[in-house]
Amino acid sequence: MRFWLVRLASVAVVLVGCFLLQQWAAASLTPYLQSLVFLAGGYVALAVSLNLINGITGQFSIGHAAFYMIGAYTTAFLTATFFKAQPLDSTAWVVLMVVAGSVVAGIAGLVVGLPSLRLRGDYLAIVTLGFGEIIRIVVQNVKALGGSFGIDCRVEPAPPSIMLMWLLAILTIAICRNLLKSAHGLPFLAVREDEIASSAMGVQVTKVKVTAFVVGSMLAGAAGAIYAPFQVFITPLNFDMYQSFIVLTMVVMGGTGSVTGSAIAGLLLYLLPEYLRLMKQPGTSKAISIGGPAVAAGLVGVIVLVWLLRVVQAKVVGSKWQRWAGNLGALAATALLVYLGSLALHGVPFLRSRNYTMAELRMAIFALVLIALMLLRPAGIMGHHEFSWDGIGKRLRRRTSGAKA
Amino acid sequence: MSENATPVLRLKEATIKFGGLIAVNCVSFDLMKGDLFGLIGPNGAGKTTCFNLVTGLYPPTSGSIEFMGRDISGMASAKIAKLGICRTFQNIRLFKALSAVENVMVAAYLRHRTGLGSGLGLLPSAIRETKELRRQALELLDVVGLSDVAEERSGDLAYGRQRRLEIARAMATQPELLLLDEPAAGMNPNEKVDLQQTVRRIRDDFDKTVLLIEHDMRFVMGLCERIVVLDHGEEIAQGPPDAIRNDPKVIEAYLGAAV
Ligand SMILES: Nc1ncnc2c1ncn2[C@@H]1O[C@H](COP(=O)(O)OP(=O)(O)OP(=O)(O)O)[C@@H](O)[C@H]1O
Ligand SMILES: [Mg+2]
Repeated sequence: MRFWLVRLASVAVVLVGCFLLQQWAAASLTPYLQSLVFLAGGYVALAVSLNLINGITGQFSIGHAAFYMIGAYTTAFLTATFFKAQPLDSTAWVVLMVVAGSVVAGIAGLVVGLPSLRLRGDYLAIVTLGFGEIIRIVVQNVKALGGSFGIDCRVEPAPPSIMLMWLLAILTIAICRNLLKSAHGLPFLAVREDEIASSAMGVQVTKVKVTAFVVGSMLAGAAGAIYAPFQVFITPLNFDMYQSFIVLTMVVMGGTGSVTGSAIAGLLLYLLPEYLRLMKQPGTSKAISIGGPAVAAGLVGVIVLVWLLRVVQAKVVGSKWQRWAGNLGALAATALLVYLGSLALHGVPFLRSRNYTMAELRMAIFALVLIALMLLRPAGIMGHHEFSWDGIGKRLRRRTSGAKA
Repeated sequence: MSENATPVLRLKEATIKFGGLIAVNCVSFDLMKGDLFGLIGPNGAGKTTCFNLVTGLYPPTSGSIEFMGRDISGMASAKIAKLGICRTFQNIRLFKALSAVENVMVAAYLRHRTGLGSGLGLLPSAIRETKELRRQALELLDVVGLSDVAEERSGDLAYGRQRRLEIARAMATQPELLLLDEPAAGMNPNEKVDLQQTVRRIRDDFDKTVLLIEHDMRFVMGLCERIVVLDHGEEIAQGPPDAIRNDPKVIEAYLGAAV
């Protein structure tokens, strides 16, 4: 009884929270910021659902955008064809589309996953990569789906997309977290760790892999179904390989297997490039511009940094602090080198004549952040760990008891 | 035990070829309920391959394998585990990133009852069952003496402990027949004595039938009641330890391997 009360209360809190987010965003944010909030939720859903496949079950899927696209195009097609002629209001329609989009994406996941997941090894990676491209090219050439021009999927009045997307993100997190909290998650983790041992312990390896893949695909499809009407007009370019790649990066960054990590990385990696892009917008603070020599020195600096961090990690053993000092030393040395290098490069006229703004360099900065993060924390932000209040409590207690000792 | 009781495990001329190599050649033996059976032979004799055949990793090229009177040759590994055969691995195959107790719970999960849906919703039934599996797992860790490291990452455990964890994990599937592949490898003499007791206890207190591979002669001779000897995939002797010890073919196989 108490269980159901708690469960009901938490669901209510989530619903109200997402509703308030929607109200607040609609009332006080610019359309651009609204889309930021919306897509942040979308990337959390995509990253966490891909984490179910890649991180928790250990199957390397690299075409997650394909299922996102299938969900979006299912919705777009159905909306363009039927929305005007049916009686549902826009919220109910989008919810219906979420069901349709996830079912179609799930079926596609089954068709792609079943043959490739039966095999050991990296077939899934190859197949999903190819599938992502094939789907995009097929859509580009199908008139009924708008071809490369795109398709109009306006739902009037505008549905509460931010609320729906964040509900989906939270649902995705809840599904993965519950799976890991109950014994039902163990076969998934076991398959990731060792397929042969898993099957010897009675785990039906193919079934587990396909389940993870189909559920992950369905969640991506659901995200696509919410995305399409928000975007109003979608084209195949919205779902190119970059999308798959960025979601995959989020999972790896977050620490494969960690739900919390994927969610945090999803937020950060989506918002960081957007933040850097903002710097170009008129009205925001004047972009910091960096001269050509600094850029050239910076590129060399990255290589040096990578090398130095490698050396530090291989050579410096000892306490955590000593290792941190080593890492900081490497960073400081690189910074100094970049500074001196850029001074020296000022002598090169071709380089001196060029200035870059932060916004122009955003992808380069983004790449640098990724590289540095991977070097410093190869297991991702969270490693295999999960965020939990208990864990924080334990850590604090340990710290205070350590101080006493 | 009467002569015509169904054997727990029966290999009938089981054979497997890898390309030109005949790894196991017409091997036949019966294990009766409650046997503590040894499988020995020089390196590369085909012992592990026998386990792989019995647990469905490979289908036999010819011959058959019966478990409790049922033909299991070529059946999927997971299904064989469900029927009641479980094994440990010579080259330890733990789920390294999982804790010791989670490793055992994976295996105990085989006998679970609630559906995936209750897990995804974290319903009371799933929570209760998770607790129950955990309790079972902790009990088994106690049997092999690993209670103190239950929450530790299994990949970080000492070698001997990893081997014992493999045994606890296999036990958790509640098998009728337990296959142990070199359980004492890499253990020190004290650990080996403990292990002998554990294996005996598994047979006596838990009513299992045990088939074990081991290179340490003292270990096998002191523990097993019957022994099969393989050499180059062929069965060269079968019988109680004393007979095996004095069998000229066995002596030759071992000396031949040693020279
Ligand atoms: N999958 C396989 N493909 C090809 N050859 C194999 C395969 N598995 C085993 N073999 C070969 O079969 C023979 C028997 O191997 P097996 O592992 O069963 O020996 P073993 O008796 O367990 O030896 P050890 O005491 O060293 O563990 C070896 O020659 C091995 O190389
Ligand atoms: Mg072997």
